Amino acid sequence: MSTSTPPSRNLGTRRPPELSSGQKLMVFVLSMTLFGLANIVTEVLPEISIGPVELSVSYLAFVPVVMVALFNPLYAALGAPLGEIVFVDLLMGDFSGIGELEGYLQMFLGLYIGGCLVRDPRRRPQLLLAALTTVTVDKMLSAVVDIGKVWVGVDDAEYVEGLPQSILLLEGIGFTTDLLISGLLFGALPAMALAPRLYGRIEPLLGLAPRDPRHPVPLAQRGTAAFALLAIVLSFVSMIAAFTSEIVDNFGVWEPGFVDEYGQRFLWIGVSAALIVLVASVAATRFVLRSRRERTAQDAGADTEAAEKAPEGSDPR
Amino acid sequence: MRKERDRLSVEWVKLELLRTAYATRGGLLSRRDPRVVIGWYGIFAVVPWLTHNITVLAGLFAVCAVFVVLSRVGPLVLGLFVIGFVLESVYVLIAAWMFGGDLGTVLALVELTLKLATVSLASMAAFVSLDPEKLSDALLSLHAPAMVSFGVSYGYRMLPILMEEFHTVIDGHRLRAAPLPSKGLLGWRVVARTATTVVAAFYPLMLNTAKRTRTTVEALETRGFTFAAEHTDGRRIRLAHLRATWEDGLLIAVSLLLVAAAFAAGHSYPLYGAVQ
Repeated sequence: MSTSTPPSRNLGTRRPPELSSGQKLMVFVLSMTLFGLANIVTEVLPEISIGPVELSVSYLAFVPVVMVALFNPLYAALGAPLGEIVFVDLLMGDFSGIGELEGYLQMFLGLYIGGCLVRDPRRRPQLLLAALTTVTVDKMLSAVVDIGKVWVGVDDAEYVEGLPQSILLLEGIGFTTDLLISGLLFGALPAMALAPRLYGRIEPLLGLAPRDPRHPVPLAQRGTAAFALLAIVLSFVSMIAAFTSEIVDNFGVWEPGFVDEYGQRFLWIGVSAALIVLVASVAATRFVLRSRRERTAQDAGADTEAAEKAPEGSDPR
Repeated sequence: MRKERDRLSVEWVKLELLRTAYATRGGLLSRRDPRVVIGWYGIFAVVPWLTHNITVLAGLFAVCAVFVVLSRVGPLVLGLFVIGFVLESVYVLIAAWMFGGDLGTVLALVELTLKLATVSLASMAAFVSLDPEKLSDALLSLHAPAMVSFGVSYGYRMLPILMEEFHTVIDGHRLRAAPLPSKGLLGWRVVARTATTVVAAFYPLMLNTAKRTRTTVEALETRGFTFAAEHTDGRRIRLAHLRATWEDGLLIAVSLLLVAAAFAAGHSYPLYGAVQ
């Protein structure tokens, strides 16, 4: 964060090197395997429950945080949540289908944003920030999804005494303990200890160059992550808003007719699902188009770039 | 202290996990085409959210329960599910009472619990029946990214090796560490020691796994893995063994019929939860 950006910033010259397809697969598989293993270990760690307050480790966040900090955040973040699904949920027969999909997206977004925040894995404050961001994004989204589930699952949740408050209370408590235990104790602190030690040692084993603070993950990629996050949050909010408006409009007009009952509700579910898909596909297309454009630009300008760089004299190598 | 360690040892968990993962029981759904099983699951994962009628939900729940029995879901998974669900509902109930809930709240909770339970039962029946290898083929044939289906089958094969290695590293740490002078208040020293050992064990593991990953991936790439997974001919050869038969069609037809029956029953005898 301390390095000042040059005013004439050309994206092509400041990018970290592109990964080959094999290297992408390596980063993906490594992150998947390690986080899968970490999740199996999590299953062993004992839980202390005081009523609804559960003092347990929901996951060992430091493992994927170290991965996204050291390697390309995109592929590491894509791999880690898959590891959880494959190793724990699938092999243990605890797979929850569509629920896993939302878990995957939440974890991916959290990790990806966390990884893009890190410029230099040797700097501990950045790792702290990355770990806390990861867990916050993941748990915040999952709380929103849980609340949304109650809203969809229970008719007129607003008018059922005590239910919304109690769900909010339980989610709030869960979020706080998760942030403290998974985010800080098993996320930020071990990551701050491990990442600087692994930096420069683990990358050569995969045939990769260590992450260079002078060539951070480009802003374009960070912008996409922020955009995607905003899109998903907004779509969740709009979904909940859609349900509430439907509930408010229909309150008092209660007819348990077959068609009436489904018509409205089904419409809103369809509309919000379509909205989410639309926003996600717009984000994905933008991202793919941009990265493709940059790649071609980089390939085309590789020679000129090298020629430009030599007289500049900023590179000590 | 000695006994405590035996019960919660890494070895015990390893064996328990492998037993759950690799023991195939062979039920109704496990003989079906994996794509059809995923489709079947899709029906029961979506339908419960489209109604607020408790009669319909009870019907769907019963159907899924029958499928769980027919799929021969193991007692461990089923037991964990029941305990988790009962505890969760009790907590929400207590919290709702604290904020002044009444019978309406209880009925609303019954509705929500039935929905969540139906979806969970369906996923248990479907995904206990699908071993990861079949699931990975089904995903590939449904045009999931090749990396995902590769990850599924890779994880399936690597799990025993990784567990073994983790166990060895933990044992090494334990052998080299001096015994704790005292357990401390409420055994906090034991907790802290366990936590630091687990974290420290990941340092060598990360390095070892990185080496192993490179070997695997380079061997795969030598044989054109990425290309073969994306190329149509490669896909066709790999997925040639997947065949949906008339029995698969029957499964879907019967399931749809049962869902329709549940809705018909709900139409005749409606019972609503939230608002009287």
